[in-house]
Amino acid sequence: MDIFTLALWIITLIWFIISIIKDKEKTINSMKRSKKMMGSMMGQIVGILFLIGLILTFVPPELIRDYLGGSNTILSAILAAVLGSVTLIPAFVAFPLVGSIVDMGASIMPAVAFLTTLTMVGLVTFNLEKKEFGVKFTIARNLLSFGMAIVISLLMGVVL
Amino acid sequence: MIKKIKSNLFLVGVIVIYLLLFIINTEKAMLSVNNSGYYLKEMLIIMPVVFLLTALIEAWVPKDMIVNALGEGSGLKGSFISLALGSVSAGPIYAAFPVCKTLLQKGASISNIVVILSSWAVIKIPMLANEAKFLSPKFMITRWIFTTIAIIFMGYIVGKLVNKNDMPLKEGNSSENNIMVNKQACTGCGICVDAAPDYFKLENRKAMPLIDTVKNEDIEKIDLAVRECPVNAIKNKFHGNSIE
Repeated sequence: MDIFTLALWIITLIWFIISIIKDKEKTINSMKRSKKMMGSMMGQIVGILFLIGLILTFVPPELIRDYLGGSNTILSAILAAVLGSVTLIPAFVAFPLVGSIVDMGASIMPAVAFLTTLTMVGLVTFNLEKKEFGVKFTIARNLLSFGMAIVISLLMGVVL
Repeated sequence: MIKKIKSNLFLVGVIVIYLLLFIINTEKAMLSVNNSGYYLKEMLIIMPVVFLLTALIEAWVPKDMIVNALGEGSGLKGSFISLALGSVSAGPIYAAFPVCKTLLQKGASISNIVVILSSWAVIKIPMLANEAKFLSPKFMITRWIFTTIAIIFMGYIVGKLVNKNDMPLKEGNSSENNIMVNKQACTGCGICVDAAPDYFKLENRKAMPLIDTVKNEDIEKIDLAVRECPVNAIKNKFHGNSIE
């Protein structure tokens, strides 16, 4: 558990204890509502996690390395953005991986595009996001994030 | 059973793929299960705390406060608060969904929700340290600056494109409907107390609602009080500005 998760736990638990002391009924009622909302999400989330496992088996990080090091920078940036949208690899795997590609002399544009869409665009979470926030919101947010990832990678290519 | 399958169609689909894969290629299926293990652990660590947090926000954070800090009129200040909230948070993007939905129902603007969601996903302080280590501090800072600008810009655009009417907010919204008495207008006549004694009382010669939230079974009585009030000082938000 990293320190931020730990801090979140501690703060929330303290708040929760105060809440129970102050107004037990109100707290429990809110928990019931919260449970109702999260309950409908949990099935989706468990499905997403197992789907990620599948994707990682068939699109392993080593394969991504091959794609990111392509010679045509713009094309590999777009490809990297697509790969980042589809996969969801943990940051502690992604950074060393991308770092090693950049060290090998590859352009940083695809690296940036990949890192940005990796976390910001979620194809696997699309369904859940759609259910909770509506189709229009989800499409707008994910498409814009994808576009922004490309723009950020181009700008980074110019600046660095 | 059928209903359960229907509401979890996605999960069922994934399970079916796994079953097929176990038959075709047991090794790959086992590998996939192992790969998922890390994510399942992450979820088990984060989701209980997210659950408690949404309940606590729902119970204690007043609507006015959310509207002020993160509502439509909160401007650039709202964007920065959202950015800070998203950045100090923990956990993957799906952990942000319940929190954001609760905030949205409490009156946060769509723009700010986009900012919270995006910064929750991309800007993590432990991750920034990792990025500086494996790429370079310069790389990390440059990407952080561009990403921050992009996130605020995206929030603005999505806020323009998407309306709250496009969102499925109905369910939780009913919990937020409260009765309001306009203290300036109220003459303390007591008609509402006669009309709905379970819901109103007089305090310092002004009417006071006795309940916070309006449930369906309460509507009839409260509506009566709303109609009877000679100065129209009572508002029942259940009909007023709710999204239904």
